[in-house]
Amino acid sequence: MSVVAGAMIGAIRWYQRRISPLFGPCCKYYPSCSHYAVTAVARFGALRGGVLAALRLLRCRPWSIGGIDDVPRQFSLFYRFSWSKAHEEPRLTPLNYDLNDEETSTERSNRSDHHDASVHSAPSSL
Amino acid sequence: MTPLNQNVFYLDNASFFAFFYKILYPIEWLMTHLLVIFHKALTFLGFQDGPGAAWWMSIVLLVIFVHLCILPIFVRQMKSMQKMQAIQPKLQHIQAKYKGKTDPASREAQQRETMKLYQDMGANPAGSCLPLLIQSPIFMTMFYVLSSVSYVARGVKAPYGAFTVEVAKDFEATHVFNVSLASMFSTSGSSARITIGVFIALMCGLMFLQQYYNLRRNLPRESMQGQQYNMQRSMMFIFPLMYIFSGATFPFGVLVYWLTNNVCNLIRTIWQVEHMPTPGSPAAETRARRVRKREEERRKRKGLPSVEEEALAKAKAAAAERAEQGHQRQQPNRKKNKSKKNR
Repeated sequence: MSVVAGAMIGAIRWYQRRISPLFGPCCKYYPSCSHYAVTAVARFGALRGGVLAALRLLRCRPWSIGGIDDVPRQFSLFYRFSWSKAHEEPRLTPLNYDLNDEETSTERSNRSDHHDASVHSAPSSL
Repeated sequence: MTPLNQNVFYLDNASFFAFFYKILYPIEWLMTHLLVIFHKALTFLGFQDGPGAAWWMSIVLLVIFVHLCILPIFVRQMKSMQKMQAIQPKLQHIQAKYKGKTDPASREAQQRETMKLYQDMGANPAGSCLPLLIQSPIFMTMFYVLSSVSYVARGVKAPYGAFTVEVAKDFEATHVFNVSLASMFSTSGSSARITIGVFIALMCGLMFLQQYYNLRRNLPRESMQGQQYNMQRSMMFIFPLMYIFSGATFPFGVLVYWLTNNVCNLIRTIWQVEHMPTPGSPAAETRARRVRKREEERRKRKGLPSVEEEALAKAKAAAAERAEQGHQRQQPNRKKNKSKKNR
């Protein structure tokens, strides 16, 4: 995660801790706008995540319907449209794993091989 | 506190905010034109030209105009509040499903299902953060425009928008309650300070009233406890106090603008809370009592049976029917639809 992304996430977390409780919950969408921004920046990086977060802020209007609006797994500026490749149906159940910590299966098997051989090795580079 | 440099418009100089004000220049330009248009309309209606009551009335008219433009946004939100009443049973079903479960997965699932319900029904109790986000730039623009008046009048700042030097001079020379529109608390004499102090107190009092309405009368009774509620309650007292200190550095025209703004917000909040309250709040109970009282008076006026008498008659009729036909439900038959079947 780049420095800019880390700084953005830090700023948003500061807002969530200090400024947001003073106003009460006001977001129309399920992951609140700040939560969405943190997830988007962590998943897609500062620039693309920032653009997604800005679009989401423009979407949260008094006359919009609201509802569930998760960060898409693939990046697409049009993921809200049903024709988009990145479109996901609203998910009613929480995931029991964190998508941002996803590992590929090869990395997982590499790690278990190293553990079996009980050899200390440097962590695999990404 | 260092005295303000009277030869350079300080808002153009303060490095961080100067950037914002440069971005907001089109809105500032538009506001000056709107002010002058309202002034022209008022002089057309008979107010005197030049420095006079027409200038501060044009500020008031500008505020009312901005609020009327924003009002349709709130109308849609109010309509969705009414739909909230209709979907209460489904909401309670979801809450009963997750009652007593406090682990994060259950809470997330409950929130997701609630939000999906709002999405399907097209109703949503939460307002977005947009009104808050919009009011800040508009306030900043107004602040800039009204602060720049005395600098334009003295020729220190270049005239912009509709603010020619004569217009700025007229603006500056307008006196409301013997206080010029461009004077500030820190730079005026004691009698002017009293007037300005009264205005600031009124402004903060109205802000407090509006937050009180929203917090104490429009929240459901269950959410009137807990840490978040306590924090909001303390903010209800602290916010107006914060504005007292900043109000001392604003030009008087900005105070007039802000007072009108708070009055409009308060009127809108009171109307919204009393006529479209969130279900379960104290305002909803008051409204239910009011609606019931009005209904009973209407029936008494027209000679119809009152609500209780009608309910009693219905209950008696239902009991008589049960006494006749017993408690067994009659299965409806399909004779009506036989002709529609294409067999």
